[in-house]
Amino acid sequence: MSKILFFGGKGGVGKTSCSSAFAIRHANSDKKVLLVSTDPAHSTSDLFNRPIGSTIVNLRSNLDALEIDPQKEADDYISSIKDHMSQIISPIILDELNKQLDAARVSPGSHESALFDKMVDIIISTSDNYDMIIFDTAPTGHTIRLLSLPEVLGAWIESLLRKRRKSVALKRMVDRIKGTEDQPDPIVEILSRRRNNLEKAREIMMNGDNLGFVFVMNAERLPIEETKKAVDLLNKYKVPVKYLVVNRILPESDDLFWKHKKSMEGKYLDEIDKSFSVEKVFKVPMFIDDMKDSTIDKMAEYFKDS
Amino acid sequence: MSFFQNLKLFFEGALDLKGRSVHHIEEEARENMDQFMMLCFSDLLGVDMPTTYYALELLPYLGEDLEDWLLRMDSKKSVWESRGAALDMDP
Repeated sequence: MSKILFFGGKGGVGKTSCSSAFAIRHANSDKKVLLVSTDPAHSTSDLFNRPIGSTIVNLRSNLDALEIDPQKEADDYISSIKDHMSQIISPIILDELNKQLDAARVSPGSHESALFDKMVDIIISTSDNYDMIIFDTAPTGHTIRLLSLPEVLGAWIESLLRKRRKSVALKRMVDRIKGTEDQPDPIVEILSRRRNNLEKAREIMMNGDNLGFVFVMNAERLPIEETKKAVDLLNKYKVPVKYLVVNRILPESDDLFWKHKKSMEGKYLDEIDKSFSVEKVFKVPMFIDDMKDSTIDKMAEYFKDS
Repeated sequence: MSFFQNLKLFFEGALDLKGRSVHHIEEEARENMDQFMMLCFSDLLGVDMPTTYYALELLPYLGEDLEDWLLRMDSKKSVWESRGAALDMDP
């Protein structure tokens, strides 16, 4: 059983409903589950009809949830840097640097980085307390970029550490000749800490079959095409796609329009069975009610074989 | 003091080998530091980096050098200039 599951898929296919139902299904069978929403739309709190914030809240027995707010994470990060900076940097240049930081606060890359940071943090700090951590992610492209970040970041940190160590070594040489005292380098410390965190998260995820991806789609052409591309990419990053969920399977009907729709759906379902090799494909029908706290249990039943 | 010691002192004073080597090491340290800054903050020179956000936490330690570094990068006219300067043996 995978411990860390990412739910991904095209926008609007029902990732939040499916991941919530999946979480409930496992919480019901005595597993401690943490449901983490990374989607900026934060539909999880809408679904459960209660506020969920950036700290862990309990939804039901065995089921906790958390919503990552990238803006808040970035703000916190930048404020802490500002605090730190005001202690050690001369006030003359502080103003200019603070402006740089404020510019970074709103830059588009910051949200992604903050989100990734928080995910690493959650994986490291909570994986001992939960049997399963489920990430309800934003639409596909986003998630895949997120998965490529550790590689980029890892290489970057390595080269920074190498350069910095060289700088420190050179400085020591000069200091030794000049006879001044050398001190531990805070930059090496910060970089090493970041690298260790990345390593730790990677270890947890790569341990056995701890990591799994679940793709949610509808039996329609565009979601299938997008899922194919995403699965290929994930294979490239060696992330196993465990399950597929085909959401909103149509009911039988005598109406001509719906009959036609249903027959098309049949073709797409065949195509899904043929083109993907995963452990299991869950087929979840379209429900008559909206998905909310009281109706989501019906959906959870469809995941009983997971 | 023996003759050889005097001789040694004479050459040390005349050639300033120690000062020169310190100078060269310092030069290399500076060059290395510039490259480090480039890896962290090339964003400020218009080169987009996915890692910019993570470099921000180094700012408290690098902030003092940032302005000078930006000026140096701005005024760099050719790579040959700096290479040539590196080959110049006079400190």
